[in-house]
Amino acid sequence: MAQSFRWYFAKRLIYVALTVWLILTFNFLLFRVMPGDVTRIVIPKGVAPGSDTFERLSHYYGLDKSIPEQYLRYMQQLFTGHLGESISFSPGADIQDFLGVYLMNTLILVGFGTALSIVVGIWLGRYTAWKRGQPADRIGSAFFLVFYCMPTFLFALLMLTLVAKVVPQWPIAGAYSPTYYTMPLLDQIGDRVVHTLVPLFALVIETIATFSIITRSSLIDVMTEEYMVTAVAKGLTARVVLHKHAMPNAMLPVVTVVAMNVGWVLSGSIMIEMIFSYQGLGYLTYYAVTSQDYPVLQSAFMLEAIAVVLANLIADMMLLKLDPRVRV
Amino acid sequence: MTEMQPSRSKWLILNETRMEKLRLLRKNGMRIAREYRHSLGGMIGLGILVFFVATALLAPLIASKYDTPSMPANDIHWNDYNPSYASPSARYLFGTDFYGRDVYTLTIWGSRASLIVGLLASLISIVLGTAVGLAAGYFGKVSDEVLMRFTDFFLVIPWFPLMIVFASLLGRSFTNVIIVIGITSWPSTSRIVRAQILSIKEKAFVERAIAVGAGSGHIISKHILPNVFPLIFANTILLVANSIFSESFLDFFGLGDASVVSWGTVLEAAYEKQAFGSFAWWNIFFPGVCIILLIMAFYLIGDALDEVMNPKLRRR
Repeated sequence: MAQSFRWYFAKRLIYVALTVWLILTFNFLLFRVMPGDVTRIVIPKGVAPGSDTFERLSHYYGLDKSIPEQYLRYMQQLFTGHLGESISFSPGADIQDFLGVYLMNTLILVGFGTALSIVVGIWLGRYTAWKRGQPADRIGSAFFLVFYCMPTFLFALLMLTLVAKVVPQWPIAGAYSPTYYTMPLLDQIGDRVVHTLVPLFALVIETIATFSIITRSSLIDVMTEEYMVTAVAKGLTARVVLHKHAMPNAMLPVVTVVAMNVGWVLSGSIMIEMIFSYQGLGYLTYYAVTSQDYPVLQSAFMLEAIAVVLANLIADMMLLKLDPRVRV
Repeated sequence: MTEMQPSRSKWLILNETRMEKLRLLRKNGMRIAREYRHSLGGMIGLGILVFFVATALLAPLIASKYDTPSMPANDIHWNDYNPSYASPSARYLFGTDFYGRDVYTLTIWGSRASLIVGLLASLISIVLGTAVGLAAGYFGKVSDEVLMRFTDFFLVIPWFPLMIVFASLLGRSFTNVIIVIGITSWPSTSRIVRAQILSIKEKAFVERAIAVGAGSGHIISKHILPNVFPLIFANTILLVANSIFSESFLDFFGLGDASVVSWGTVLEAAYEKQAFGSFAWWNIFFPGVCIILLIMAFYLIGDALDEVMNPKLRRR
């Protein structure tokens, strides 16, 4: 068994490596093959085509070479940790120098968001499934449906309006105060918590609804199985039936959906970060889009895509541990 | 006269089979409609959808008379006529936005953009997804392997950032929004189509058609597609909900066409002009509720149709 697990893991790793390579290639092609000139993308807009500066910049970025040569150069730079230079975000700065901070902030938001939605979502789904047909279930399900259909950015906007009105002194912009880096450690943590709470809440509400709906329907499906009747007939208490018989079987589709949703949480964080000016990858994406800073956009997209691939790998491994049937 | 005879009788026979087909189609449709009517969620969804379609069609009649329909924020100085951020009143039912535009009128006209983009983008996505799924599922072997790896790749890439990147590279325009949403949402459809085709391909009637010498084109159009469409229909409806969400988001993100009035662009203007700071909740609330209701309508309809058309999938 251990042997087959290792073999499976190795196969998955090769597959992930291949996918990452494809993403890098795709990312290269996307910004070169799309309509329009590459020079338009990499060279600042103020520089007139044909001018001396333009030629020199073209040469500097290797844009005067052929596409395969550019591709080699791009790969070479990636593997030496060079992601290109920002045009407008912090002009001329190497992207890899400031990308780390943004990645970290997003990881905090998405990490806590995922954990929170799994715990709360599964709990709510289990509760409503157990109370099926009763008022608690009906009200709960109606709320799930509303939040499931509500786009995250819309909820964030409403939260923003509400918080700005009700608690005007609550900080609703940024991942931390401007004075963050001069604070002692304890204050830094407190500052982060205060700044993260509202965006986090806005982020998780939709995923909580999604996970609740899945858990509820999966559990209700399981409860129609015959072994549930057997369990009840044996005289087991409702608690034991729920925790020992129903939940373990109901969890498998939930884990799959949670795994598939990691990318979606990340997408949600793009909307949240934009609205709350939370300095993460999503905010960077928004900034890059509005200021047409394509090298930054390219780097942010690359990180987002790779993060999702890795998250899927982790989820797959977890599923493998949970469900012996997946092991071939 | 004698030459006409065979073709006429052929026409007549065809007509009879057609009649029978129509009769079956009608019978099936009636059954679905009857079962659908029992679904409370489905009927509510249908009601909301009808309401919004009527709103979109009757927009010139029911929109406020004080404003003209085409109203990009910076075209006319609306502030010369209307106050900025006026709260809802009899004069301005849903209040006004920063530019002094009537939010009620904007909301009514905005329903058009959402419905048009939602339907057209889903159409693109369905055509692409069906084509890829069909080629992979029906022809199998190498094309299946290649196309499914291709689909897997697009399933793995987070479509949401991809959509942003595409839209940003293509530039702001109404058509681009439709195209971008269409080409980023097909992979799940192609997966479903492929799975359905794989099971239908094994059915006896397809084998029979092959045995009597039918060509691939005939089998696909007469036997495969008619059996695939009912199964992916519910999925299509859900796709529309997703497209409407994507459209409003892209507009909000500043990637849509700013000169088109849509719920997303209204929200974009509200966000940019800090409506939340002035507590102009009406500027966000009314278009926002419309987005939620329309998405929910498609979601409810899709769910109800799924239950009616694919009863096997749901034992409950």
